[in-house]
Amino acid sequence: MYPWNHRTVMVTALLALAGIVGCAQQETSERSQGPDPLEMTPEAYAEYLVFESGSFRLDQPVQEGGDARQRMEQDEIQRLCSETRNRPPADVAGRIVRRARESIRYPEDGIQLGDWRKGAELARSGYGYRVGHRNDDPDRTAGGNCYACHQMDPDELGYGNLGPSLTNYGELRGQGESVRRFVYEMIYNPHAYFPCTNMPRFGVNDFLSQESISHIMAYLLDPESPVNPGIEPGEGERRGL
Amino acid sequence: MLRRLLWYSILLSGLACVPAVASDSPYLTKRQQLMMLAESNPAELTLWKGEELFHEKRGPKNASLEACDFGLGPGVLEGAYVQMPRYFEDASRVMDLESRIIYCMKTLQGFTEEDEPIARKHSSADHTADLVALYTYIASQSDGMKWDPPMEHPMEKLTRDAGEVLFYRRAGKMDFGCVSCHSEQRKRIRLSYLPSVHQPEEWAKAISWPAYRIGHGVVRSSQHRVRGCYWQMRQAGLNFGSEASIAILSFWTDRARGHVATLPDLKR
Ligand code: HEC
Ligand code: HEC
Repeated sequence: MYPWNHRTVMVTALLALAGIVGCAQQETSERSQGPDPLEMTPEAYAEYLVFESGSFRLDQPVQEGGDARQRMEQDEIQRLCSETRNRPPADVAGRIVRRARESIRYPEDGIQLGDWRKGAELARSGYGYRVGHRNDDPDRTAGGNCYACHQMDPDELGYGNLGPSLTNYGELRGQGESVRRFVYEMIYNPHAYFPCTNMPRFGVNDFLSQESISHIMAYLLDPESPVNPGIEPGEGERRGL
Repeated sequence: MLRRLLWYSILLSGLACVPAVASDSPYLTKRQQLMMLAESNPAELTLWKGEELFHEKRGPKNASLEACDFGLGPGVLEGAYVQMPRYFEDASRVMDLESRIIYCMKTLQGFTEEDEPIARKHSSADHTADLVALYTYIASQSDGMKWDPPMEHPMEKLTRDAGEVLFYRRAGKMDFGCVSCHSEQRKRIRLSYLPSVHQPEEWAKAISWPAYRIGHGVVRSSQHRVRGCYWQMRQAGLNFGSEASIAILSFWTDRARGHVATLPDLKR
């Protein structure tokens, strides 16, 4: 039986006695001291693979401080969404929404719009926080990568469609207090509205700074921003906005 | 050039009535376009190098890899790759093709982890890694066959099932799991159409590695791809040939079961 068949144990013991600890043998002996995977559920084995098997570079330092192990540890929302495969039943969804609401922190001087020009850059950039075989430079501002998933400026053709189009978002919704609050909360923790959404939690995860969020919000809402070139009559209704 | 493009568009428009799935899969349509635009797959050069290396007597033990057992018996290459990852009694673990090649380079040829042929895992613009060449050659012996990973040994099943858990496991600075980007058809990140794990024809193409990546100018492996996706997810770096990487590969191959592999493939 894996991984302690008699032969492995014998060979390992003999080699250890003989003082020969080659690479392959070392692997075997390390493994035979570990738990027996076949006694584990797939879920438990997966956790073992992540944290105990040496599969990931957990000790690598990360720019937010600490090490990459934190990147693999799940918080409650990540765990619940993984377990329910992003389709949480009503009670779990309710819990996620509550947790998400509790998590949101607001800027002290209210939710302000920054500079849409800076926001344009940040919405395009997918830079920041990557670690492993190559590390992103911590001194460069991290981007929100909104274009990976959203259409924004209609002249930008390289946009993804995992999320809805945000073209003319400000034009259609205005810049009022409630709109600003909603957009801020969506960027900060979108699970407050869409439990187990694919959109990242840019605020809770400290991915974007308050300043960066204010610039991106301006890009989305400012009437001067190219995201809001104006619309044909009836377009808003057609797009369900 | 213009005439060529015209030809392709004619060819493409004709495709609409051939394979039903391909026509409503923008991912597959784009990939077919790519295959047609290329006169030949530059991965062939890598393949030839791999073929030579496979038969050459090398290493401290001055042996070729011809006696290596990839699961179907010593030296049997045809169809071996589409039936991996697999549990190997001699190593008492589940291995993907890349790990198995390394295993044989150690046991048959006497190379160690530190020796260049094993130490260099990926190619660069000016150097094709031996490992990638061997992998490309051996994988090519399964071209056009259907993915069919064995699920008899309990470790094979457990590895696949844990891989499935990992696929859905969200973590990291962006809350991503593989599921975030590969579970719906017709979705794009920027301009790239994403293959869906729930659409086996798309998925069989998606996991067709080795592939010559036009953007990289070299042949890449499945280990290279899965490492890249973890990197994009802002999770911890994934080690080459690690148990977790093999679990992911085991799940992803199982999801393509019964559908045709393109080996080597050509990707963007
Ligand atoms: C990985 C994909 C992804 C990324 C990256 C992403 N979003 Fe989203 N976003 C979504 C999805 C998906 C939705 C729809 C909510 C749902 O159904 O889950 C959404 C919804 C939204 C909405 C609400 C739209 C409405 O219905 O009113 C806003 C606003 C928004 N995103 C802004 C942003 C901004 C700004 C960024 C960049 C900082 C961003 N998103 C990055 C996926 C993404
Ligand atoms: C944020 C989105 C995202 C996540 C999360 C993600 N991928 Fe990918 N994946 C991509 C993109 C983009 C490509 C490249 C597609 C292309 O080149 O056209 C890709 C390519 C692939 C391919 C090859 C498809 C091809 O045609 O080249 C496979 C297989 C794959 N990913 C598997 C995974 C696995 C397994 C995970 C989890 C470990 C994962 N992906 C996580 C975005 C993602």
